[in-house]
Amino acid sequence: MAQLNSLFVARDSPIHRLNPLTKLTLTGLLLVTGLFLPGVLTNYLLFLGVILPLSALAGVGRQLLSSAWKIVLPFAISVFLIQGFLWPQGTPLVYIGPLSLKSEGLQFAVVSTGRILMIVSSFLLFSLTTRPDHLMNSLSRIGFPSNLAYVIVATIQIAPRFQSRAVTILDAQRARGLETEGSLRTRARALAPLVIPLVLSSLIDVEERALAVEARGFNRQGTRTFLVEQAEAAWEPAGRWLMVLGMAAIIGLRVYLAVSR
Amino acid sequence: MIKIEQVTYRYPAAPSPALRDVSLEIPAGQFCAVVGENGAGKSTLAYLIAGFIPHFYHGTLAGSVLIDDQETSQVPLNQLVQQVGLIFQNPFNQISGTKFSVREEIAFGLENLGVPREEMEERVLSTMERVEITDLADRHPLALSGGQMQRVAIASVLAMRPKVLVLDEPTSQLDPIGSREVFSAIKTLSDVGETTVVMIEHKLEWVAVFADRVIALSGGSIVGDGLARDVLTDERLLEKRIGQTRYTQAARLARQRGKWPSALPLAVTLDQAVEGFKD
Repeated sequence: MAQLNSLFVARDSPIHRLNPLTKLTLTGLLLVTGLFLPGVLTNYLLFLGVILPLSALAGVGRQLLSSAWKIVLPFAISVFLIQGFLWPQGTPLVYIGPLSLKSEGLQFAVVSTGRILMIVSSFLLFSLTTRPDHLMNSLSRIGFPSNLAYVIVATIQIAPRFQSRAVTILDAQRARGLETEGSLRTRARALAPLVIPLVLSSLIDVEERALAVEARGFNRQGTRTFLVEQAEAAWEPAGRWLMVLGMAAIIGLRVYLAVSR
Repeated sequence: MIKIEQVTYRYPAAPSPALRDVSLEIPAGQFCAVVGENGAGKSTLAYLIAGFIPHFYHGTLAGSVLIDDQETSQVPLNQLVQQVGLIFQNPFNQISGTKFSVREEIAFGLENLGVPREEMEERVLSTMERVEITDLADRHPLALSGGQMQRVAIASVLAMRPKVLVLDEPTSQLDPIGSREVFSAIKTLSDVGETTVVMIEHKLEWVAVFADRVIALSGGSIVGDGLARDVLTDERLLEKRIGQTRYTQAARLARQRGKWPSALPLAVTLDQAVEGFKD
């Protein structure tokens, strides 16, 4: 079941049980591999050979595919049309009226779509299998500022609440006769009565929330403890270092290839 | 024990003080309700006792506030929160927004204080039992009703084992059932005698039933202090917009018509009204 206000899907899988830092490092390795290694199909191979099998192992393959296509498909269509037909010079493959589909433009579109697919699906795999609070705790454990971790995680969780407040304010202002539909000018005029109450009420909430977390010792200096123990397999710390080394090697290889060309 | 000595406080850039020459002593274990119209200084009094004045809100402060003989202005806020817990009006704003279960939400403050895991588990469990929310342990905190969320907020602060619990209109956004849940949970704590409770509240019917003592504020000054039956029936306080319970209103009308026993003080609770009207 998808949890409230986050992409996380609860499952008892080997991927879910990994330390969030291991998954974060894996996401980094996937990104570096896809973006730095040459090859038209590199990112598709990463998607089919690594990301999809891992998501299936985690039991979130369906959720990953259903979210990924909604993001990648509009991008793919636009990049194929724009780059395929508007590539300045190249080998025409097909003529449609005055336009021609160029081989080079098509290749560029395939590479770009592959990159987006890999980036989106890597982050989705991470988000679908990682609880935000576990990520926050793991980051705090390695010295990441807890304030920053809190802001990131709390914002993700609380954002839908602000959306619902925006809808309430919109309805309230409409009930008082505010025109919110019609010409651009009408919509622009309606903006201030909607945005100002939203911003002001949010600022009041932020102050109360700041007091509330302060009242629970959030700004206390010193060691924090955690209710949920972050279990990790014995190989994970070494595995993370290996992945970091792998990233460094790939970047090094890419630099070497660029210099030696 | 809470001791407030001749406190006058003005918020930064405010034209006049929010509290004027307030002196007050609240013994340990007492359930003390603070009533008064909006702008009377009730929330300011709450922030003062919790140490948010002067640590969070700066402004101009004269006088002193002592919790167990320690002056709050001299104790860092992150230490003070272990002695004084503060609960706000809006239950949603007190949920950390980073936890996925009520159990973990209650542990949030303990994690910040660095409490060892075994002790944390024990404290979370015992607090959930005290506030009667054990059945909510695995629920998502943001998926609860207002009353449940407020009880989780209270449990989250209580787990830190403060000597004093300050509640700033904790039932203002709750329905009658949610309000009763919160009042009952607080009364239970106070009855055990471990926690001193200062509760700012407009729902006078509940205050009259549960509070050991009622303090009335108006214009930043204390205008009434005593038992609920004395303070909430004081006619002078009606002019100060303190209000009265529906039972006091009925008893007052009955007295005007000669139908309330002259020897009996006006009622503030249902039981007292029944007693007065039975003859």
